[in-house]
This record gives sequence, structure tokens and C-alpha cells, in this order.
Amino acid sequence: MQGEPSFPDSLRVQLRVLGALSMREIVTRFGRDQIGFWWLFVEPMILTVGVTVLWSVFHGRTPVPIAAFAVSGYSMVLLWRSTVNSCIWAVASNTALLHHRNVKVLDLFISRILVEVAGSTISFFLLSVVYVFLGLMAPPVDLMNILVGWLALAWFTAGWALCWGAASTYGELVRIAWIPLGYFFFPICGAAFMVDWLPSKLQALALWIPTVHGVEMMRAGIWGSGVRAHYDIWFLLASCVIVTLLGLVLARGAAYRVDSL
Amino acid sequence: MMEFPAPASERDGGRWPRVGSLFTAAVVVPTLVAAAYYAFFSADRYVSESRFLVRNPHPPQATTLIGGLLESTGFSRSLEDTYVVQNYILSRDALAELEENLAVGAAFRKGGRDFLNRFPGLEWEDTFESLYRYYKARVSVTTDTASSVTVLTVSAFTAEDAYRINERLLVMSERLVNQLNRRAREDTMAHAESETQAAEARARAAAQALAAYRNRVSVIDLERQAALQLQEIAKLGDALFSARTLLSQVEALAPRNPQVSALRLRVRDLEREIAAESAKVTGAGGSLASKATEFERLTLEQEYARKQLEAALLALESARDHAQRQMLYLDRVVRPNLPATPIEPRRVRGFLVVVIFSLMLWAMLSLLIYSVREHRS
Repeated sequence: MQGEPSFPDSLRVQLRVLGALSMREIVTRFGRDQIGFWWLFVEPMILTVGVTVLWSVFHGRTPVPIAAFAVSGYSMVLLWRSTVNSCIWAVASNTALLHHRNVKVLDLFISRILVEVAGSTISFFLLSVVYVFLGLMAPPVDLMNILVGWLALAWFTAGWALCWGAASTYGELVRIAWIPLGYFFFPICGAAFMVDWLPSKLQALALWIPTVHGVEMMRAGIWGSGVRAHYDIWFLLASCVIVTLLGLVLARGAAYRVDSL
Repeated sequence: MMEFPAPASERDGGRWPRVGSLFTAAVVVPTLVAAAYYAFFSADRYVSESRFLVRNPHPPQATTLIGGLLESTGFSRSLEDTYVVQNYILSRDALAELEENLAVGAAFRKGGRDFLNRFPGLEWEDTFESLYRYYKARVSVTTDTASSVTVLTVSAFTAEDAYRINERLLVMSERLVNQLNRRAREDTMAHAESETQAAEARARAAAQALAAYRNRVSVIDLERQAALQLQEIAKLGDALFSARTLLSQVEALAPRNPQVSALRLRVRDLEREIAAESAKVTGAGGSLASKATEFERLTLEQEYARKQLEAALLALESARDHAQRQMLYLDRVVRPNLPATPIEPRRVRGFLVVVIFSLMLWAMLSLLIYSVREHRS
């Protein structure tokens, strides 16, 4: 056995693998014809616009402008849902790739997470810009809040998707369980309400849900002091560390299971 | 089964990073720093807590059935006004007044060696704005929407400071509520009062005009006076009638009776008298009938002014009642306490949080580094 490669060399190899896997993911999913990889963010954009229209019609009068409310909330839901959906099929549909020496199970997850996070982020960014230009949304008050909130949400989503993706290699049941859970999650994730609107007992419960903190933080950045936002960024970051650690441990187990197949 | 890279001594040296150094950076250093901070630097903080309720004993009448059912509890806890008080407590105005009266800035500086939690702590500069940020971290006001009891907690480096700030904030909030009350009452009452004054003036003017007219034409009550006159005329008429009858009888029986000329004189006198009296009632010039129009007008005006005054007084009364109903009260449910022992910082808890999270961070980072190391060219 030759000497161990240095860490920077390994990192370079891994980055190349991740880049190749991401490109492969985009091309196999969206193809090269028509608008190709643009679908990556056009699809969530269309969904978000649809939700904006629906909520504008059905929510009636809300305490906050509905367009910004829908963009901040639904973009997070899409990020969350598409990343987990993509990760729970990551190993099953790419088993053959694992014959390459440098393609590891974790790489499959990371590449899919990168693709989904990038797609949702571009969609969120473009839609916000378009809405601001159309006058549907006031220019945000504090961009830093939005940025940190979104990045923390993306990190949390990555850890969470890693958990589900890795767990899905343990049995089919996990994939089936995710479907109802994913829908159940939508009303409680913070996308469809603001904590301040809830009675104080529910507020305390809602603040146990990590994503609520991220969405509240983004909305504090969008509207500034016009809304009372309840969030604790440290709680969200601590949750991120916990889910990421759990996901990494599960992924190691998944790697052993897949290798031994 | 996790394989971590072998200890540095077993490998050919100079590779980066070693788990050993990672462990030192991610776990050992934070743990030692936290231990040192909690053991030697962190200062005790005392927390004084009070609870209050902003309520309105006579809520405005509910307009809907559901609203009526909801408010059938006798008094409404007015949440909106609670939020007003909350906003006031966390305002620069409140802080400025506290600073003026209690020197809170100095109180927050008493943290000793606690470089993290004393004022200005981690703030770059020592200004009113940074004091305001610090203040908002030390004072918390939360309202339970179900019971609408508001909890006010103040944390400071001495028990007396925490207590005094809390007490002072309550007094200031009470003053704010009273101000709101006074303002609301003044607004509702001012209009009703000016209305009443106008009506009073008009009633007085009408009464004076009527009295002056009575004096001028020497009439007290037109109707009764006219009736009196007419009675007089009727009496005269009766006398005239009997005089005429007597005259015609005497003339028929004894035409040369000397009484005849006396009777004739009497009839003529009576006729003249009747004509004069009738002229007083209906004739042109100074008769009662000619005075009636002006008199009627003045009486009517006085009547009208009195009605208006009555209505205005009623409105004033109901406005006073309404203002009374809108009164808000700040009830102290729990008075601020003088804390006996410091309950902040929770040292063991804080230390454990640091240890556990640094361990988790380390585990996460080592797994990530390990997964990178799996790749070889």
C-alpha cells in the first residue's frame, strides 16, 4: 500500500468527484435539449409563483404583504422537500457509480444536496429580484439577516436530507415514511405562519422547530421592525450541528451496508 | 466501525490536519475557556420579576353575538393596550428616564471582571445606542396571550438594582396608562362640553329676550290676560242686556218716568265701555292681539332653547359615562421582588452546553475530514 495521500490532494479529488457527480445529476435529470439545466431553478420558480397567486387569492387580508411572505416561506419548503426527495433516491439510482474507487456514498448525497440547494437558492434570489422590480415586494430591510437565515436553513436542510438519504439505504420503509412526513411538515415548518400570530402556548412549541427560526430571521430581514420576529440563530445553528452529525454517522453506516452488498 | 487516521506518531509526519490537533482546537480549548470564564470571570446576576395586567373594567358593548359571548367574562383584558405598555418599556424614552433617575448605565457597569456581560461588554462603543441594545437584552417583557398577564423581568448585577429598575418601570407604565386615560377622556368630553355651553348661552339669551319684552309691553301671560279681558266684556254685556231690558220695559209702561233718561245714559255708557274693552283685546295699536305674534315667537324660542339644553346635558352625561367606561387600569398582579440569590448565569448548564457542542462539532468535523481522506488519486 502506497503512502497516504496528503489532505489537500484528497480534497482536490473529492471536489472533482463532486463536480462531476453534480453535472451528471443535472444532465441526467433535465437533459440537454430545450432549456436544459435551467429547469433546475425555473421549476421551483413556477411553483412559487403559483403559490403566491393562490395565497393572494385565498388568504385574503394578512398582516404582511403576501408576495414576500410566499417567497420567503415557499422557497424554504421547496428547498427542504426537493433536497430530501432527491437524497432518498441518491444511492438506489446510482449504485453502479460506486464501483469507481473515488465515488463514495457520501459524495452521492453531497452532490445532490449541492444541486438542490443551488437550484432553490437561484430560484429564491431571482424571484425576489423580480418581485421587487414588479413592486410586489418592498426592497428588503436587512440583507444580512436574509443571507444568514437562508444559509443556516440550507445547512439544516443538508443535514436533514443526509439523515433521510442515509436512512433510506437501511430499508424501503424510510422512503414510504417520508411521504406523509413531508406533507405533515409543511404547515408546521414556519412557511405558512409567523410565530407572532400564534397564541403564546403555541409560540413556545413552534420555537422548538428549527426551520421556524430560519424563516423568522429571513422575514425579519425582509420587513425589518415592521414585524415582530421571534428567532434564535444559535438554536438553529445548534440544530444544524446535531442533524449534520447524525446524518454523517448514518451515512457511514450506509457506506458499510452498500459496500457489503 | 469508524476508522480514524492513526495517531501522528505512527504515520510519516507532516500531514494536516491531525485529529489530535483538531480535538485540541474544537474541544479542549473551548472547554478550558468556558471553565475559566465561568470560574473566574462571570459575575452573578439577580433577576427581579413582576407581573401585571392592563385591563378595562367596562369594555365597549360587543356588536356581534360571538363577540358578546367572548366578552361575557365581565372585563376585557385589552391586549392592544398591553402592547402599548410593552413597547413603551422597551423604548429609548423609558431608558432615558431610567438613566436620568436611576443611572442604569452605571448599574449595568457593575459587572466586575465579567467582560462578556457587563456594559459595554462586547459593544464597540459606549453610547446611548449601545446602552439601549444592552438594556433590551437585560429587560424582558412577554405577554401570555391566553391570560394576557405580562411578565416583566429585569436582570442586573445587584439585587437592589434589579428591584429598583423593575419597580420604576412599573411606575412609569402606570403613568403611561393614566396619560392614555386622560387623553381619551379629554377628547370625548371636550366636544360635549362645548356643545352644552353653547346651548346654555342660547337658553339664557332666549329667557332674557322674553323677560325684556314682557317688561316693555307689560304683559305677563297673554292668554290669561286676554281671557280676563273677555270675561270683563262678557260681564259688561250682561249688564248692557239687563239695562236695555229694563229701559224697554220702563218705556213701554211709563214713558214719562224720569228713570228713562237715566237708563238711556247707562246703556250708552255700557256700550262705550264694551267698545273700549274690545279694542284692548283685538283692535289695532296697543291691543293684546297685536302683541301676540311677537310674544308667541319669543316663547317658542325659549321653549326650543330649553329643549336643546336638556339634550346637550344628556349628551354630556353619556360622554362622561363613556369616558369612565374607557378607563384602563394597570393592575399589579405580582409586585417586583427583591431577589435573594442570583439565578444567572447558570454556570454548570452553560459549561455543559459548551462541552457537548464542542464534542459534537469535533465529531462532525472529523467525520467530514475522514470522508475527504477516503479519496485518493
